[in-house]
Amino acid sequence: MSDKGTEFFEKFKDKMTKVIHKPRRHYFNIKNEDLIEIADYLFNTMGCRLSICTATEVYDGLEVLYHFSDDSTGTYYNPRVKTGLTNPEINSIAPMINGANWIEREMYDLFGIKFKGHPDLKKLLTYNSPHFGEDDHPMRFKRNRTQEK
Amino acid sequence: MSKCRIPLGPFHPLLEEAEFFDIKVEGEKVIDIEMETGWMHRGHEKISETKSFTQSIYLVERICGICSTSHPFAAAHAMEDINNVEIPERGQYIRIFIGEMERIHSHLLWLGLAGHFIGYDTLWMWTWKYREPVLQIFEKVSGNRNHYAMFRVGGVGRDFDNALIPEIHPVLDMLEKKMLMIAGAAEDDPVLRSRLKGVGVLTKEDAINYCANGPTARASGVDIDVRRDDGLEYDLINFDVIVLPNGDVYDKLVLRVLEIIESVKIARQCLDAFPKVGGEYLNKVKHISPGEGIGRYEAPRGEVFHYIRSDGSNRPLRHKVRAPSFSNIPTYKASCVGIPLADALITLASVDPCYCCTERSIRVIDKNNQRLQHNLLTMSRDKTAALKKTIAGNEKTPIDRVFED
Repeated sequence: MSDKGTEFFEKFKDKMTKVIHKPRRHYFNIKNEDLIEIADYLFNTMGCRLSICTATEVYDGLEVLYHFSDDSTGTYYNPRVKTGLTNPEINSIAPMINGANWIEREMYDLFGIKFKGHPDLKKLLTYNSPHFGEDDHPMRFKRNRTQEK
Repeated sequence: MSKCRIPLGPFHPLLEEAEFFDIKVEGEKVIDIEMETGWMHRGHEKISETKSFTQSIYLVERICGICSTSHPFAAAHAMEDINNVEIPERGQYIRIFIGEMERIHSHLLWLGLAGHFIGYDTLWMWTWKYREPVLQIFEKVSGNRNHYAMFRVGGVGRDFDNALIPEIHPVLDMLEKKMLMIAGAAEDDPVLRSRLKGVGVLTKEDAINYCANGPTARASGVDIDVRRDDGLEYDLINFDVIVLPNGDVYDKLVLRVLEIIESVKIARQCLDAFPKVGGEYLNKVKHISPGEGIGRYEAPRGEVFHYIRSDGSNRPLRHKVRAPSFSNIPTYKASCVGIPLADALITLASVDPCYCCTERSIRVIDKNNQRLQHNLLTMSRDKTAALKKTIAGNEKTPIDRVFED
């Protein structure tokens, strides 16, 4: 692991659980309250790029995995934030990182996760489509289905 | 000065794919721009969960018709990341060769389109003429002009025929000569220079803040390239990453020309290596163990990202796909505002957007949650019919909203 990486894990070790180190890939769980602080450190201090976020529906809720890429070493830092199945809500990092704007809109569209503090949270892919209503999120298992015409 | 809004799309002769741009102008200057997506959706992420790992690779190959090797490349990397699979050396060289030839033909295609957008059709006809021999090489190597189906987990599915090497060298020589000519023309031609220099500038700060990648970021002075940063196969090869400082359309054009020359050099190194490196080209993987893996590859347009989570069965539990255009298209907010409308089109096209890559992830299933629905054509027609109906009736369409104020 690079010096920057060791320093990062040393600084935030109290705020992480379930840390998994693989070659050039690091996965760890964090709490929603710490997300903005950790994302700020990764993006602004360490100079990582936000590649994408992966939202997944698992048996006990929804989880969002942020993929921060450190391009100088080819390493991925992947903080994972969990939220419940009903009224899922996560803090938004879009005010800090412009690139997260579309990423969060896509996750809101497909999974219905509301991002608190997002400047313009509306659907991305099914916006204005007659086949998908406002509360119809297509990647959820129990989908609030729009009546097919 | 009077303000008005100009709708561009969803179906427009200058957009290769269906996309809607809502451009607000004051006089001739663009003051704001919004984009609406959702005219193409095919459900690849969800379909992939119903296919086996080997089938997934063929599925993701169909996401894009132009950079059709980048998605299998990244998906195979993600699967190999879960299992830590070693790839035989010959397999690695074949992968690099296919990837670089694809970069050449994709960049040539964009150069032609860019020439067409600015009314410089000579460039379009030249570059598409040089693209044809590259496609013929693909047909000889893989049997297909576009979807090569070369990739497997742990290597490639087909060997490279060493007898083809003498036929490929002249094409690479021709490409290098012609690209040097186009680079010289871009340098000397007053028309190209005055039309593209200083147009649609994306600053380095904006490129970093919008998380841009690939040629879009490199033309703005951000030194990132997955081929070098992630290593893997490309550790076998010597090549330079081309970075230009200005961030305008001219730099993006020159960068792509120089990248073609660099790709020709990489392809030559592969051809030199093929006779020396024999043996196996596929390390057969029978089982993907439970876990999660990240794979990426530098596609012609930027970084392709695949995340795969496996539960130990033969299918992925979650397969996330991120195409480069998804990160690059939102940079229009930074690069298009404040420039004349006539420059906005070439600026929008300069990131080489691939809209069908951007919108790939909607789930389409029937009422009982049982089977995948295959009437996507009907869905598309329904959406257009609804649009027409609302134009005639009282409901508001995107185009109505434009003419509202």
